[in-house]
Amino acid sequence: MLNIGNVKVPVCHGHGFSRRSFLQAGTAGMAGMVLPNLLGLGSAGAVESRRARIKNCITIFLVGSPGHLDTWDMKPDAPENVRGKFKPIRTNVAGVQICEHFPLMARMMNKVSLIRSLHHRTGATHENGQRWMMTGHDFNADSMKPHCGSVVSRMFGQKSELPANVVLPGPIGNTGAGPLHGQTAAHLGSAHEPFFLNADPAARDFRVGDLEAPAGTSASRLDARRQLLDQLDQIQRRTETRSTQMHDSSYERAFRLLTSQRAKDAFDLDKEPHRLRDRYGRNTFGQSCLMARRLIEGGVRYVTVNHFDTVFNLTCWDMHADGGGLNNTYLDYERHLCPQFDWAFTALIEDLEQRGLLQETVVAVLSEFGRTPQVNGRGGRDHYPQAWTNFLCGGNIRGGQVVGATDRIGSRPIDSPVEPPQILATIYHGMGIDLDNTMMPGPGERPIRLVEAEPIRQLFV
Amino acid sequence: MEQRFEGSPRAMIYLQGRRVHRTEVYHDWGLRLQWVIRRNGQVIATVPARADASYEHPDAAPGNYEIVLQSWKYVNYRKNPQGEFTDSRFIDISNQVSYTV
Repeated sequence: MLNIGNVKVPVCHGHGFSRRSFLQAGTAGMAGMVLPNLLGLGSAGAVESRRARIKNCITIFLVGSPGHLDTWDMKPDAPENVRGKFKPIRTNVAGVQICEHFPLMARMMNKVSLIRSLHHRTGATHENGQRWMMTGHDFNADSMKPHCGSVVSRMFGQKSELPANVVLPGPIGNTGAGPLHGQTAAHLGSAHEPFFLNADPAARDFRVGDLEAPAGTSASRLDARRQLLDQLDQIQRRTETRSTQMHDSSYERAFRLLTSQRAKDAFDLDKEPHRLRDRYGRNTFGQSCLMARRLIEGGVRYVTVNHFDTVFNLTCWDMHADGGGLNNTYLDYERHLCPQFDWAFTALIEDLEQRGLLQETVVAVLSEFGRTPQVNGRGGRDHYPQAWTNFLCGGNIRGGQVVGATDRIGSRPIDSPVEPPQILATIYHGMGIDLDNTMMPGPGERPIRLVEAEPIRQLFV
Repeated sequence: MEQRFEGSPRAMIYLQGRRVHRTEVYHDWGLRLQWVIRRNGQVIATVPARADASYEHPDAAPGNYEIVLQSWKYVNYRKNPQGEFTDSRFIDISNQVSYTV
């Protein structure tokens, strides 16, 4: 058995090392495309990254989905069983109100662009919403589509030793209706899979397993292993397929990540002042947001922070109040969810701005759907994809505006309806990707558009 | 993955007249912060304390007023049939101050 990082690699008896094992070890769920691909795309007119204001993206994904009527699209004049328990407060943008439990966000609404007319037309499962919002597509297991971060990885490659596409603190797990959450590279190949942290940055003993060389393994020994792999590659490369060759860059980058002090530093929250860590909140979500900023600063292009990985048996946004495994209520929103989000989100925006990163980083707060206009008989709200609110800020997104509107009970968009692919089209466009001239390899190498949608041009300055 | 909360939050509070001020919260869990105001030992108000670092309670009825800062402590999301949390609860995270009207 050979160890590369924390990955145990079997050695084939009588056949030397298993190439497949090397690839599995080297991939470790990460890595991006090399720069020449960006240059090639640029020369073909597919990307205008030099002129684009947005260089990076942080997506905060609110797994479970907040009720839009209880958060960012309040209807105080609606009947009691629609308007819910919370009250709206004024923000620093005239005429824009949000929930009383986001008092800090209310003070920076001039930086935020609310989209109050989101909706999708497929079933009301978490997974449908996740696929729409993560990929801009609905799909099944036979036609997987890549995560937005994987597309960015494919288009722009890595800026540093760090992967181009990182998901914190881990992938979405069981949300009730299957394994297709849209957080894979799909047919873009393993070179563009997200790097999943798979660790809790709020833990006292936090460390990233994939960055740790095994005890007793020196840099020179790792380098020797890489040289051995190179020799094996040269022998076998002639027989490899394109997809297998993508693994080559994956394990090359795995080694770079493993041996890079800069990469280790990017994941080391102990390098942050105690006071700033407090400002984000000493919890999994807050520290993940702080790490997102560190990673963007270190050269990661796309970071996704999953606020929760499941909806079962824990406090999360999925407010059914069912008395069982889905028993989130207004109390969870008031005491835990809204304050936690408000504290961490505003810390992230302030921090990015103070470091000059907000002007080149778009922060997208996304969810799967809204929640029913009527409060259910148990005091909760259920899934509702016909209307919800998400928002963007940073980059050249014009803050202080509201795109779209819903009717008087928040049941459907009545102005500027927006569907999830338009959000992704907006992000791609903001990063300089020409959606009319950029195709990605689809199944069977057939070229397809990144998303079948146009950007929301009103969002931009 | 349950949210993990690191350390124990702590803050100092002090009075200037009847206005109570708090320091930043050390090891802030980022959950709801609230002022708890008692008069003659009875809770008469709980007021959000996250957005602003000071608060003056408007009630001027005679009595001995005590104020403390609390944070929500999440243990799990279990609730009783009445919908109240059974394990998670608010905890005091500051010293107590008092004044008399």
